[in-house]
Amino acid sequence: MATHSAFAPRATSRRSSEDTAGEIVSLIIPVVRRADDLIVLHDAFAAAVSTVTAHYEFLFVFDGGFGPPPEALVARSRRDRRIRVLRLAYAFGETAALRAGIAASRGNVVMTIPPYFQVQPQGVAQLLDAVHNGADVAVARRCPRRDGWLNRLQSYVFHTLIRSVSGGFHDMGCGVRAMRRDIGESLRLYGDMHRFIPLLAFREGYRVAEIPLPQHAADARPRVYKPGIYVRRLLDIMTLFFLAKFTEKPLRFFGLLGSTLFAPGALITLVLLVQRLEGVGIADRPVLLLGVLLLALGVQLVGIGLVGEMIVYLKAPHRRSYRVRETT
Amino acid sequence: MVQHSFDRSCPDVSVVAPLYNESANVVPLVESIFGALAGRALELEVLLVDDSSSDDTWERIHAVAAPARVRGIRLAHNVGQTAALMAGFDHARGAVVLSLDGDLQNDPRDIPAILEKLEQGYDLVCGWRQRRQDGLLLRRLPSWCANRLIGWLTGVRVTDNGCSLKAYRRELLDRLTLYSDQHRFIPALAASLGARVAELPVRHHARRFGKSKYGPSRMVKVLVDLITLKMITTFRARPFVGFCVVALLPLGLGLCFGVAWVAALTGFGGAKASVLVLASAALLWAGAAFYMGMLGLVAEVALHGEREATPDTPSVQELA
Repeated sequence: MATHSAFAPRATSRRSSEDTAGEIVSLIIPVVRRADDLIVLHDAFAAAVSTVTAHYEFLFVFDGGFGPPPEALVARSRRDRRIRVLRLAYAFGETAALRAGIAASRGNVVMTIPPYFQVQPQGVAQLLDAVHNGADVAVARRCPRRDGWLNRLQSYVFHTLIRSVSGGFHDMGCGVRAMRRDIGESLRLYGDMHRFIPLLAFREGYRVAEIPLPQHAADARPRVYKPGIYVRRLLDIMTLFFLAKFTEKPLRFFGLLGSTLFAPGALITLVLLVQRLEGVGIADRPVLLLGVLLLALGVQLVGIGLVGEMIVYLKAPHRRSYRVRETT
Repeated sequence: MVQHSFDRSCPDVSVVAPLYNESANVVPLVESIFGALAGRALELEVLLVDDSSSDDTWERIHAVAAPARVRGIRLAHNVGQTAALMAGFDHARGAVVLSLDGDLQNDPRDIPAILEKLEQGYDLVCGWRQRRQDGLLLRRLPSWCANRLIGWLTGVRVTDNGCSLKAYRRELLDRLTLYSDQHRFIPALAASLGARVAELPVRHHARRFGKSKYGPSRMVKVLVDLITLKMITTFRARPFVGFCVVALLPLGLGLCFGVAWVAALTGFGGAKASVLVLASAALLWAGAAFYMGMLGLVAEVALHGEREATPDTPSVQELA
């Protein structure tokens, strides 16, 4: 019964991972909003992953906001120990569901899969291959894409913006990813950061491979979101940009911004002062308001930068910005 | 913190050299370090930190690595000089740790003199490059200004903050965390932790291999970083006071305008219009001062929430 060996106690699974073929793959499926028929999904991906290894487990992580897990899936998990169903107590969102899944997983390779068909399930094997062959993280890229022009345009704009920060990834929206488990645990995932896993891993210095996989036909439906979603994505990108450049030096950001506001403010008020001394009245000049506003904003921004520096300094003893790849 | 000093399995001296694309310098560097300390009864380890070079620096390091004597550390991504130095410090086991440039511009023959100086009862000995072999306008002049500014702001007057050749006691490194680009401010940061700091003239050579990784863009950054430096060396344990000091300037301006306002109100010349201008100027600056003070309280909250050891947590020795 090789099928059951994946569920031996953890110590045993560690030992088996030292064999060449004996690693366990945990497939984590966070179910938050949209979901296809999970039974069909499980069948398809189980068939695909079993061509690579018999040692795998499926973790379905249901967000609290999703509602009760489908009865058929729960029944199946009672029969097959390679299926586990978790449920978050409240609506925590996809990032939290992924974190819970990674924490509960028993494999030494974790794979995330969205609860709907994004790519052809057979592609699973290619991602696992990439991880075997030295990549720390392997992410799928839907290619060739079957999406219409609207989806492509959105995706193009989004990724062009992100590329201005760093990386060079083409499809962050694809949730099919494989990575060593320790890497999954080490990534600081919070908020909506699950979307940026490839970029976060890349910035930590991990080797990230992008693997083109054909897009699933069911995934090619036009996607139009509420305006709030677009605003959120834009804010996410701004957060990433700030974190990438100024995590350790907030005053460089706020100080620069503050002084570019303060300088014209000072210039305006100086000019007005000179004019006043020459006898020109300035009280009814709107530009005085502008100058005063710029001065006030500049001072505030510099002050915020100083608070930021204080916080960074306090956190510094427990934080390292380097990561060691290897030692001799 | 681990005390390494009395553990015989640990080397006496660790030499840390961060390298970034310095493939041609690896072998000469290691040879000259061991050459400089040959014949001394010192257990020596050399740590070569490869800051994710894009050339074959790591292959060269791998070739010269020898267990316990020469250790290589390869970082996963390029993090810059400060973090690379920190990686070396974190891995160094010596009771005394030396740092020097990986580009051979420092001369390892100065190491014995630096160690001797450290023995005289200092925690940090900084090199002071004599006849510096760098360009005047882009390197030496800005560096001279920065050194004077640092001395004036922090009261730690070191002639050459930028020299990488330095010797540290382990006890100091256990308390010193460097981040951002703080490698330029090590003497001031160390002194703010109570370290005794000395400096010593050392030799300086022109680059033989490879090329410099410094550009002029760092001047603005250094100026901003100096404000941070003042903040964390003088006011890190009492940020509210620091912010109030910053607030003094707007407060003074506000008071000046306030006095002028009252004067204008009571009719010492001045039309009705200037009363309005003076009032708004006074309120603006008073508001800015108030705002600064409130931010100081936010900083106090951040400090208060920090339960883990900060650099101000004293390490205590019980003598008897």
